[in-house]
Amino acid sequence: MEAVAEIEQRMALARRSFDELKAEMARVIVGHEELIEQVFIALICGGHCLLEGVPGLGKTLMVRSLGEILSLSFSRIQFTPDLMPADITGTNVLTDDPSGRKVFEFQRGPVFAHIVLADEINRATPKTQSALLEAMQEQSVTVGGKAHRLEHPFMVLATQNPIEMEGTYPLPEAQVDRFFFKLVLLYPNREELSRIADLTTAAPRAVLREVLDGGGIHRMRQWVRDVPLADLVKDYAVRLVLATHPQQGPGKAAVTSAQKFVLYGSSPRGLQSLILAAKARALLAGRPNVSFEDIRFMIPPSLRHRLILNLEADADGIGAEKILAELIEQIPEVP
Amino acid sequence: MGAKKGIVELSLDAEILREKLAGLLHWERRKRREQIAAEICCYALLAALLAMPLYPLLAEPVQRWFIPVFLAAALAPFLWLRQRWRRSDTARAVARVDKTLILEERALTAWEILYRNETAAPALLVVKEAGEKLKTFDPRAQFARQWSWQSRLILPLLALWSGLLWFDIDGPSRGGALLVAPSTLAQKLREYSKDLQQKAEMEGLRESLQVGRELEKVAQRGIDTKTADDRFKTELAGMSKKLDAVGKSAAESSSFLAAESQQSLKDLKTELETAQDFLNLSNAPEGSRELSQSWLDRLAAMPQLKRQIDKDSQVGRHMGRNEVKSFFEKMEKQVTGELDRRTVLDAQQFLEQLMKQGQGEKGQSQMQAAGKGEEELAGDGQKEKGMGNLAGKEPGRKEEAEAILSQSQSGAPTRLKGLLGEGQSGTLVLKGKPSAATSEVLPQEVIASYRRQAEAELNTESVPAALKEAIKKYFLSLDAEPNKK
Repeated sequence: MEAVAEIEQRMALARRSFDELKAEMARVIVGHEELIEQVFIALICGGHCLLEGVPGLGKTLMVRSLGEILSLSFSRIQFTPDLMPADITGTNVLTDDPSGRKVFEFQRGPVFAHIVLADEINRATPKTQSALLEAMQEQSVTVGGKAHRLEHPFMVLATQNPIEMEGTYPLPEAQVDRFFFKLVLLYPNREELSRIADLTTAAPRAVLREVLDGGGIHRMRQWVRDVPLADLVKDYAVRLVLATHPQQGPGKAAVTSAQKFVLYGSSPRGLQSLILAAKARALLAGRPNVSFEDIRFMIPPSLRHRLILNLEADADGIGAEKILAELIEQIPEVP
Repeated sequence: MGAKKGIVELSLDAEILREKLAGLLHWERRKRREQIAAEICCYALLAALLAMPLYPLLAEPVQRWFIPVFLAAALAPFLWLRQRWRRSDTARAVARVDKTLILEERALTAWEILYRNETAAPALLVVKEAGEKLKTFDPRAQFARQWSWQSRLILPLLALWSGLLWFDIDGPSRGGALLVAPSTLAQKLREYSKDLQQKAEMEGLRESLQVGRELEKVAQRGIDTKTADDRFKTELAGMSKKLDAVGKSAAESSSFLAAESQQSLKDLKTELETAQDFLNLSNAPEGSRELSQSWLDRLAAMPQLKRQIDKDSQVGRHMGRNEVKSFFEKMEKQVTGELDRRTVLDAQQFLEQLMKQGQGEKGQSQMQAAGKGEEELAGDGQKEKGMGNLAGKEPGRKEEAEAILSQSQSGAPTRLKGLLGEGQSGTLVLKGKPSAATSEVLPQEVIASYRRQAEAELNTESVPAALKEAIKKYFLSLDAEPNKK
């Protein structure tokens, strides 16, 4: 059937586009292959990412390069304690129209870009943070009673510095839950550092080729949702999300780490994120359906920021990664 | 045209996929059924083996062979219900295909798509790819049957159970059962009759052999018809009367040997046989009236025979060979007859014990003793093994002693028939019941009974040979004195 052939072409195009994107990104970014894949998955799923890493790991370069390759506009917002919401969303400014009359004109803020890098979001005040978060959620900003739609596709990559905690305003858990992924940037190894030095101190920066555009991203978002998901695979994802909750009864001893160290488990947004991300991964891998491996691969970025741990976890140094790893081992694919 | 071809190809892939998945599920269900059947057989056989001690409680022995069948029928519903094929098992089976062939859940997704009859293009693509990858899939080869431990255990258990039943290990006669059904009187009588026949054949006791055969017939009839013990006692009473008559008629012909002990009679019989053999080989010519000196010297070494010859004044050294021969034959006939008579009387005693004691273990010692060989209880009466009894007292319960006393005819001399055997001391059983008339007890009979008792004790206890001879001579002198008086 033609439809089937079209699906096959679609899958081939998605895979090819992704491979080209990775190749182009590798020309300017050393390492972070998995990170790039996950950012792209978040993009084609319509989600936003929270990046956590020390300064100087190439977060800004990566996001800017991504914008260039995908022909998407890019803006960077450096969050500071004195940053105001209007600095993000924009504001009405009194200007002269061509006839010389004074009128208010809306000046768009940096949020009006396809890809927005919100650097050190935890340094801004909660009021400023909420302005961005509202834009992430509503895909629009309201200024002076008037709603202004944001660009499509729209993606926010917010960063957090895990080192500096002084004078910061950590995002509330409810706000962190709105992010599709939480990605952790690891420090490069020796070889990667060596290559970074070669790329940034010797040769001129490469000119990146455009691989995809906004329309292509939009189509891929639709293709992701069309990927078939077996009930058994969906049930596996559901059981995993449920297992993040401490469900032991009163007076019963904890059996798993989740029961022992988790205060609150993942919300349903975690399941949505998990399944969409798994579908996207299957599409980019050229598979017509979601597999158990896709689900397992997407668990850490989807759920690590959605587990609220108790003080015992802090005391024992147990993180969400370890708890999720244990759950993956314990929960069987087929009950 | 291309679209039509595509539709046909897709339908073909879907059909292939349906066929392959159906074959897979059929095979997996079959293996599940076989596993359940194997578990039923294994557990039924195990239960049958564990229940073996209860087999003797069955009404019919043939029912034992059907016990595993009954147990299997009882276990089957439970196991079938617990392990019946479910939808989750289907999903698990298909997921296993994905894992084994590294299909990345194509088969599983396609199976669900076919189940839901989805027609969206992405779903059809999954079906197409799964169909292509499963074209050469053979479930029987890929997922071969694996024999569980229950399956492997069936044949050994069956062999063990069948072997145990075949050799009646569960039966009470082998002593293997914890719960043993009590032996009936007929069964005890049969065992006794077989022992009696064996003894009679060994010792050449014709009358006893005949009695043994008759008793066996009666016992077998009682076993075959499953006669109750109470009713069987009636037959035992009839047989007892018959044996009593036989015993009395035989007593008349061998009265002079009645005083001899059992061991003496056996020694006498042995000496007679030896003497006859020697006589046949002696150098004295046929018809010679004189016996050779060597033969007479030989005779001196046979105390029992010599004593009998000395008793009979007609026998002397001037008897010819043929005369001696006929004398020996006559004596042997009398000795055999006396032994026979005593064995018949023992059999009668056994029958009376059976009638009076019924089922149980109390008749065991008597049952075993009456038909046996050397260390038997000679004559009538009873003595239980190992019981320390004073002389003159009968072992066992007093009420039994009173019960077994049979009434003798008034006016007739009462014969004391002491029954001696193993134990710390011998006992006498007075079988005569005093009647209104005056009864006479011959002193010879009293002396003879005590002599028999002493001889039996000498045979069983460690006494120096010189003393034995002295004791024998003493009793012989006692036997001679009343005659002189």
